[in-house]
Amino acid sequence: MSGHSLLLASYVPGTSVVHRSPLWLKFLLVLGCGMASFLIADWAVAAGVLALMCGVFLLSGAGASRLVRAVRPLLPVLLAIGLFQWWQLGAPTAARIVLNVLVCVVAASILTATTPVQALLDGVASLAGPFRRFGADPERFALTIAIMLRSIPFIAGAYAGVRDSARARGLERNPRALVLPVFITTVAFARQTGEALAARGLGEADDLDD
Amino acid sequence: MTQTDNSVTARSPRRTRWSATDLGLIAVFAALVAASALVAAIPVGGLGVPITVQTLAVMLTGLALGPGRAFAAVGLYVLLGIAGLPIFSGGRSGPGILATPSAGYIIAFPLAAAAAGWLAVVVLRRTAARSGKIRGVLLFAAAMVSSIIFVHTLGVLGMMVNAKLSLSAAFLADLPFYPGDIIKNVLAVSIALSLHKAFPDLLLRRVRKADVRL
Amino acid sequence: MSIVLDRVAVWVDVDGQAAPKTLLDGLSLDLTERRIGVIGANGSGKSTLLRLLNGLVAPGTGTVTVDGADTVRAVREVRRRVGFVFTDPLSQLVMPTGREDVELSLRRSVRNARERRARAEDTLDRFGLLGLADQSIYELSGGERQLLALAAVLAVDPQVLVLDEPSTLLDLRNRELLRRTLAGLSQQVILSTHDLDLALDMDRVLVVDAGKVVFDGGAAAAVGRYRALSAAGLPSAGLAPGLAPAGPEAGRPAPRRQEQR
Repeated sequence: MSGHSLLLASYVPGTSVVHRSPLWLKFLLVLGCGMASFLIADWAVAAGVLALMCGVFLLSGAGASRLVRAVRPLLPVLLAIGLFQWWQLGAPTAARIVLNVLVCVVAASILTATTPVQALLDGVASLAGPFRRFGADPERFALTIAIMLRSIPFIAGAYAGVRDSARARGLERNPRALVLPVFITTVAFARQTGEALAARGLGEADDLDD
Repeated sequence: MTQTDNSVTARSPRRTRWSATDLGLIAVFAALVAASALVAAIPVGGLGVPITVQTLAVMLTGLALGPGRAFAAVGLYVLLGIAGLPIFSGGRSGPGILATPSAGYIIAFPLAAAAAGWLAVVVLRRTAARSGKIRGVLLFAAAMVSSIIFVHTLGVLGMMVNAKLSLSAAFLADLPFYPGDIIKNVLAVSIALSLHKAFPDLLLRRVRKADVRL
Repeated sequence: MSIVLDRVAVWVDVDGQAAPKTLLDGLSLDLTERRIGVIGANGSGKSTLLRLLNGLVAPGTGTVTVDGADTVRAVREVRRRVGFVFTDPLSQLVMPTGREDVELSLRRSVRNARERRARAEDTLDRFGLLGLADQSIYELSGGERQLLALAAVLAVDPQVLVLDEPSTLLDLRNRELLRRTLAGLSQQVILSTHDLDLALDMDRVLVVDAGKVVFDGGAAAAVGRYRALSAAGLPSAGLAPGLAPAGPEAGRPAPRRQEQR
């Protein structure tokens, strides 16, 4: 897995109205659906909103199969909750609870399917801006995000390497042998990274002062 | 002991900015939690009961880095997962996770890591002269307390809010996670002790090298 | 460029021991030559010596100055003048791709984003890396990664380049490529290495042993001294007794090792 396949995540390139609408608007949509799920009291309304969200998702051109893929991991849990609440609180309430969760998940999928991850990350990094006066530093924040992304494949590789060497020594059922070397490698790698940052004059606290 | 005292004064001021090394540790441990959520579960014991490594990584981040840096590392992981990186367990991602019954567990991660880290600093400082066994038992207690107060409590709360379960139903749904948690915390403590042996300056005594001055 | 070490000592505290461990002791050097090599055994203090030069390690006593700038008090200025390349490029490359990493290096010196992009492409092109600019650093070969790390450091035009065992992880072909690249640089180069071919390219070579400079002079003489030093104290034939294979094989008569000689 490369750092860049992570960045492609669930984004579906396109030029639809949904793609072109600004990030904050899509973000508000997600937030609004999150709020609404606490206010909607009627299962029919929840079903209507869900249908609307699915419509918006399909309008983006990301396709029905993407929509199914976004929701599928949740289905077993939602089914269990639905049946349990049907027994406890009756069918209409159970339906409302499950539909409301689905509304939020689909709304969130609209955001992630139509926005490149890099744009989302830039959005996150810019969140630090307003806190600058309290000591937040957007540049260091963005740098930390970049280092994290580039480190994920390294650590995934360390897990794989450790698993192989544990197997070679007949230790594949010893959790310490499977995990400890990864953590040792992680700390050493983090320190080398920090040292390299310092050597390149990056990541210092007073980065913005000059 | 005097060394430990020195490091206390070096670490305590709130306004001390993180050095480049701290930045590296925060970013790489955030990556560690993400990678741990993506690798397959590992078998434990004779029966080979699989456990996921993710919560292990969260707790270890706390025990290894202490409260501030652990909160930043695990918080960064959660933030980027919510922003849309597919780094939650099972490759899930996005703000939608906050509407699911597991939301409480994910929100609890940074808090639990910070709590475990704070308790770990206290334990390691107070037991500097004691044997490894006492340290191990106290660190295990620290990890358990943190996971009960934050992970399980917020987990139950999340199921109550998002799945509208009653308290007793949510409590019962959370119960099966306890055995795995105990195994993971035992493992986390044993690994944390080895880690502090390998890197004695990781948590208490900070490096005397130049980047302290940054 | 002149880097001056004046009576420098470096030590670290070790857990459970009252006396600190000495890494470097009583070092006074004036480094002015264009190509300087540092050789010595693992743990001899080579890395610490190099890390002193751009302030990654602060001297416990004494001072290190780069053209008059103190590595402790003027650390930012020192790091602008002295670029540092590590053994493992993966720990040095911060960004997911080469282009982003070089641009990151330029972030402080070039404020304009478009100019920064152009400068980064120039630098990558100079090292023949432009075609790989947008590949993940994990998809590059070891040699390409080390070149990229070098390019990212040279992008900001330091006056001195310090390299810590830059060829250790490279195969023979990539070592040759690195040697040629280094030979063509206009900067002052100070490097540590176990690669004696690379050491022989230098104008001046220091041999470090147990925290002290035991030889300082021409490359050929220094390499000879290092060979003698490394052979001294080794058992005369075969493996050291502690390293001999244990178990049933250990007792077998006439080990193959002897037949081969």
